[in-house]
Amino acid sequence: MKNKIKVFRAMHDLTQEALANELGVTRQTILAIEKGKYDPSLDLAFRIARYFGVTLEDVFIHE
Amino acid sequence: MKQNTFLILTGIVGLIEVGIFWLSVELAMPFLITGAFIAGIVLIYMARRSVTDRKEDERSVLINQKAGFRTLEVFWVIFFAVSLGGVVLGFSIPLHIPRWGEFGNITPSDFPRELPRNMPPDMPRNISPDLSPDGPHLGYFGLLQMILLCCMMFLYIGFRIYYARKYGDWDSDEE
Repeated sequence: MKNKIKVFRAMHDLTQEALANELGVTRQTILAIEKGKYDPSLDLAFRIARYFGVTLEDVFIHE
Repeated sequence: MKQNTFLILTGIVGLIEVGIFWLSVELAMPFLITGAFIAGIVLIYMARRSVTDRKEDERSVLINQKAGFRTLEVFWVIFFAVSLGGVVLGFSIPLHIPRWGEFGNITPSDFPRELPRNMPPDMPRNISPDLSPDGPHLGYFGLLQMILLCCMMFLYIGFRIYYARKYGDWDSDEE
């Protein structure tokens, strides 16, 4: 599963650490999601999308 | 409670357990270390729940779960195989179970309770050939289990490293 978290993070001028703190996860988790090594749970995926104010499909692309 | 305080507490509990183990061996009281170990683990689990600055999220939980499951998957096969070997050892010696109908022939004189009067005082009291102090006994079984448990810990650490690497634990930051 691909995602555009890095793009949205750049648009909001956020570091991985800052986003991780906002979502209550570790920075390594954000890094692993961005690199496609870890697929987040539905709960975390919705929280990420909600944080950026977009829909789930805008952030995550299922292949 | 902070994470470092918890680690110090764990170390102290570990040292106390070593002391109790030594005392338990000296007093030949196996239930002392058994009870103390369970109490120590309960204390550590309770203390762990009160740690406030521990960083654990769904990814680390997943890594722990996967590593634990794989360890169990491998370990039960090894443990079962070794235990089967132990059972074979146990069944390959005479069990001294009398056949049906032989009960009436056994008299108290078949089981000598007293040692010969001329036996030196430092002779071992247990003169049964199958249960001599140097022969196989329950202590060796416990030792074997401890070795297997140590192997299981190494196995878990190995799987933990594997899954942590798979889910990007040591990836470098691109920022």
